[in-house]
Amino acid sequence: MRFLVQPNPAVMDRARPPVRAFLGFAALLLVGWVASRAAHGALTPDGLARILEPSPGERLGPVALWEEVHQGAFLYGFLLLTLGSLLVVCPVAPGLRNGLVGAATVAALVDLLAPFLHVVRPGFPGWALLRIGAFGVATAVLLATVAVAWATFGREPRRTDG
Amino acid sequence: MVDPRVARFTAPVAAFATMVALVMATGAVLFARKIGFDGGQVRAFYLGAEAGFAEPRSLAGLLEVAVPHLLAVPLLIFVTLHLVAFASGMRRRPFALLAGITWGCAGAGILAGFAIRFAWPWLAPLKVAAFVGLQATMLAWLLLLVAAILPPARGASRSGGLTGSEAAPPRAAR
Repeated sequence: MRFLVQPNPAVMDRARPPVRAFLGFAALLLVGWVASRAAHGALTPDGLARILEPSPGERLGPVALWEEVHQGAFLYGFLLLTLGSLLVVCPVAPGLRNGLVGAATVAALVDLLAPFLHVVRPGFPGWALLRIGAFGVATAVLLATVAVAWATFGREPRRTDG
Repeated sequence: MVDPRVARFTAPVAAFATMVALVMATGAVLFARKIGFDGGQVRAFYLGAEAGFAEPRSLAGLLEVAVPHLLAVPLLIFVTLHLVAFASGMRRRPFALLAGITWGCAGAGILAGFAIRFAWPWLAPLKVAAFVGLQATMLAWLLLLVAAILPPARGASRSGGLTGSEAAPPRAAR
């Protein structure tokens, strides 16, 4: 944690190998998440509808949906915190850093909450495609964040004062 | 005066707080739907009920839920408390008291299921109290975290700080 709040070149150099190892595992997690959803048929509208279709009488949607949001928010929360915090000590523009974290957060929320559109208004058009698209965007942006952190962590910032 | 070291972490911490709020909210819904907030419902969930043809929970079934939670819940509390301790100016004693309640509720909540099933079913209200206590204290921690992090985002000091500024990464401050 020290390199995040009191970074200096020596500490950053020591932190680089474990940070890169962590980033490697974060990328694996994201790829594995995509593979897991694909294996469960959750990357096609029909498959998603089959998994998350509420049974008659389930006004709040299926328990499986709530469990998925429960686990998904946990994963997204820690990925956003760790990757976003690592970007803070990387020499990247604040706009890029906040843009990546902001875009990933919004896409993650849409991914998690889109199925509730179908619960609130059964037959809501396009909710499955919205969810699949948001998951794709969230994953892509988080992978891009991993790549940026991998490439820039511990690097000297570019001097702009001549 | 907000520490500029904290202001730089506003976006990831706000994203984390949002997701933790979602975890807690969905946890409450799952608790209500699967177990229930009444002592009798809690006992029926763990001990089974003839009316609903529900089997008593097996040790394997209890462990299947408890083991992931024994990692996830302490990790969530640890990180949240760590962020609040770093970002807010909360005094030591109230912090320790609230943290103690949170940790106690988390432990009691996870272990109460085993106690209800295998030792003393009348501990069911403890399970409910522990869950409500955990939810309430986590809500308090999240509010403290948001209060400590979000205001500086609007009037953030951009003139540099102890280790840098928003515009220049920390190492540029050397």
